[in-house]
Amino acid sequence: MAALCKLRFGVRSAVRFSPSISIRTSFSSDCDDGARPGSGFAAAFQRQAELQREADGDQSGSIPGQEQTFASLFKEAPIRDNVVVGRIFHVVRDDLYIDYGGKFHCVCRRPAAGGERLQRGSRVRLKILDPELTARFLGAKTDTTLLEAQGILLGPLEGREVQKRGQNQKQE
Amino acid sequence: MAARAFTKGLLGFRHVGAAKVKFSINGQHFATASSIKSPEIQIQSFTEKVPNPPLEKHDHFRLSELFTLKDLFDARVHLGHKKGCRHRLMEPYLYNSSLDYDILDLDKTEEHLRLALNVTAQTAYRGGIILFVSRRRQFCHLVETTAKECGEYAHTRYWQGGLLTNAHIQYGQGVRLPDLIIFLSTLNNVFQQHVAIRDAAKMNIPTIGVVDSNCNPSSITYPVPGNDDTPVAMELYCRLFKMSINRAKDKRRQMELLQGLSEPSSSSS
Repeated sequence: MAALCKLRFGVRSAVRFSPSISIRTSFSSDCDDGARPGSGFAAAFQRQAELQREADGDQSGSIPGQEQTFASLFKEAPIRDNVVVGRIFHVVRDDLYIDYGGKFHCVCRRPAAGGERLQRGSRVRLKILDPELTARFLGAKTDTTLLEAQGILLGPLEGREVQKRGQNQKQE
Repeated sequence: MAARAFTKGLLGFRHVGAAKVKFSINGQHFATASSIKSPEIQIQSFTEKVPNPPLEKHDHFRLSELFTLKDLFDARVHLGHKKGCRHRLMEPYLYNSSLDYDILDLDKTEEHLRLALNVTAQTAYRGGIILFVSRRRQFCHLVETTAKECGEYAHTRYWQGGLLTNAHIQYGQGVRLPDLIIFLSTLNNVFQQHVAIRDAAKMNIPTIGVVDSNCNPSSITYPVPGNDDTPVAMELYCRLFKMSINRAKDKRRQMELLQGLSEPSSSSS
C-alpha cells in the first residue's frame, strides 16, 4: 500500500511539472517579440506559474541538493587548539563523554567546582587539543588510534548565554 | 555451546529440507529432481511469472531520493582517521586537504552508496537473505534492531571460523547461506579486517562494506567510503539500508498481489 501511494505521488508530481512547462512554451511562442504579456489574465497566470514552480523547487530538496558538490559544502577549518561547544551524551560516575561535532567524542573528568550541574544533555565549552589520539609504535606499519579525542573542559555554556541575553537587553 | 546456540538463534538459517521451492528463485541450480509434484510446479511458475526489475536500470526503486549530499555531510560521513592511519588503497576516495586528518570525497561516496543501496534493494526484491555484520560493540544493538525491523539477519558477535565455509558440517546439509552481506564496519576491534570478508569472497557471496580511511577496500564487492566511527553516521547507514530493503519488499508484495489477481483466471483457462 505504501509503495502504491508513493508511485501515485510520483506520477502526480511529474504531471504537475509538465503542464506548467508546456504552457510556458506556448506563451513564449505567442509573443513573437519575446516580451512578456503586459497585463490581463496571461500575465497573472505566468506570475502564478512561476511562483508555484519556485515553491515546488524549494520543497523538492533533491534537485538543488544534487547541484551541490562536496567542495562547496566543505570548508577546511583546523580544529586543534580551538574552543568549541560540546554536548554530554553519556556519563559514567566522574567521566563525561562529550560530543563536539567531530569524528570522535572527548572524555573529560568532572570538575570539582560546579560538577554536579553537568549531566547528560548539558552543553559545555571545550578546548580541543587533539581530534584523534594516535601514535606510531615501533615496528608498526600504521598508527594505533584510541578512537577518542583529547580536550580540556573549560566549563558549562550557561555563563556565556546569560551574558549574551544581558547585552541584548541593554542594547534594546 | 551457549555461544553457538546464540549465534544460531541470531542468524536464523533456514533449514531447507524441501529445497526445491527456495532454489527456484535463483533459477539455475535446480534441474535434477526427477519427480516433481504438480502443486510445486504451479508455485514455481507463479514465482517465476512475477517480473524481476531489469538490472541495467540503475535506480528502479528510486533510492536516490532517500538521501542527499547534504545529509551525508551533516552526518559527518566525510570525516576520516589521521593521516598516519591511512590505508594506501583508500587514496582514490580521499579529498585533498591540508588538515592532519583525512577527508573522504562525498561525491564518490554518494555514487558508491547509491550503487550499494540499489544492489540491496534488488537482492531483497528477489527474496534474498541479507546479513548485517559489524563487530563494533558500540553499535551492536543498533545493527541488530535494524536487521529486526527490516526482517533480515545480523551477526554482531564473535565470528566462528567455519560459519560460512564449513556451514554444511556445522549446521547440517542444505543450509542456505546469505545472498548478500553488508558490513557496517569492516574491521574488528583489534583493527584487523573482519574474517567474514575473506570468507564471503571464498563462498562467492557479494559484499557491501562501509570502508573508513584505515580499511582495505579491495576484497569488498561494493565498497562505500565513509565514516564508521561516529554514531550519527552509523544511524544514517542503518536507516538507509533498512528503508531500501523495506521498499523493495513492499514492491515485491505489491507485484505478487497483482499477479495473484490475474493468476487464477489464467490457470483456470
